Amino acid sequence: MTAPRQRAPIPFPSKPQGPTSAAPAASDAELVSRSLNGDVDAFETVYRQHSGRIYTLACRMAGSPEDGEDLLQEVFLQAFRKLQTFKGDASLGTWLYRLALNHCLDYVRSRQARMKKLTDTLDAETSFEPAARRTTPIAKLDLDRAIERLPDGCREAFVLHDVEGFDHKEVGALLGIAEGTSKSQVFKARLKLRAILGER
Amino acid sequence: MHPDPAALNDYVDSLDAAERPRELIVVERHLDSCADCRAAANALREIRAVAKALDPRDPPARSWSRLERAITLEHGARVKADGDRAADLPRSGSRHQLWIGLAAAAALVIASAAALRYAGLTSRPSSDVRPAATNGANANTAAAAQAVEAELKQAEEHYEKAIQGLETIANSEKGALDPQTAATMQKNLAVIDQAIGESRAALKAQPASAPAQQSLLESFKAKLALLEDTVALINEMRKGNDAGAARIVSGLKGKG
Repeated sequence: MTAPRQRAPIPFPSKPQGPTSAAPAASDAELVSRSLNGDVDAFETVYRQHSGRIYTLACRMAGSPEDGEDLLQEVFLQAFRKLQTFKGDASLGTWLYRLALNHCLDYVRSRQARMKKLTDTLDAETSFEPAARRTTPIAKLDLDRAIERLPDGCREAFVLHDVEGFDHKEVGALLGIAEGTSKSQVFKARLKLRAILGER
Repeated sequence: MHPDPAALNDYVDSLDAAERPRELIVVERHLDSCADCRAAANALREIRAVAKALDPRDPPARSWSRLERAITLEHGARVKADGDRAADLPRSGSRHQLWIGLAAAAALVIASAAALRYAGLTSRPSSDVRPAATNGANANTAAAAQAVEAELKQAEEHYEKAIQGLETIANSEKGALDPQTAATMQKNLAVIDQAIGESRAALKAQPASAPAQQSLLESFKAKLALLEDTVALINEMRKGNDAGAARIVSGLKGKG
């Protein structure tokens, strides 16, 4: 965690992105234009299409649904304020995702700086010993809840890599850490998750 | 000899790769003969696979209502600043009137939530707000305790202001709710008010108690969320959106 934290251009993960509901009847450009003219219904359509993905990202990055909800509000409020900067080079979903990711990263950095709770303390946990062997498959809901229990640092790396689909180089750039550090954080997160899920 | 755990992790990550590096082929061979390492690798692989397939979450129903109020206020302020008296949001009349009335409280809620989260007092484990106690640093500890208390006081004021605004709105529009829903809301509010009272009493006895501080803030937050749900419900009913209203009512019943 010694690399300087620089804001790198945010890449887009390879995982399929898309609206969380049915395909919009209106184009991105039309929705943006109407929203800029104060049409709240148009902005609501934007919200309905994209809020699920952004809320999910925010909850997992922040590690709590309460903070995720606050981040969702802030992201869409910021989106409303910055709509005129949307040029249509990428889809509105991509633009919103980048905005959300930036906001989540700012939040994570601010919290880490405040708490000075880096993941160095996890160094002792890189062992396979403690986890009990599971006899049943991991349920998605169990894993989603277990992610919330991960320590700051390795949780964000895990979410970006294993859930959002960024590669380690991209995760490193986003979190301001070396690629190797991203690898080790994701590894620590998986071990911790294995231990948490083994408690069940 | 068992492979290094990090090598096992690299092996799991390499499973999607077209070609596996040579050193990981050694790991693969080891897995053929070692049940423990095979189980560990399978566990990591399963976590990775399930993580890739996690389902999206639905934001709470109140989130849009809260946001709508804030952007309505913001748009209204922008229009006013532009001096365009005729400009208005293309919304139905009565609904718009209510939104404008609610917007200030909503904006305050969003602003408060952001400010308080960054200040580190909300939704964090109790250890986060506990002043660090180290040997020979009593002065620092006392200063930290005072800072936390000051932040708590500020947080309390923010919450009280936002709650007061929403309470006024919810009370004045209560007639829009059916009696059963209104009763459920009152019951839930009473439970939260009791929790606020108990947390305050605990803080009075022990002003530096981190669990009491956390409990008070969480109770405030719960009250805000309930009031926001109530206001969102009133608006869904005004819109004639039965499905939206039903969704919020089911959430209200789950609380308290």
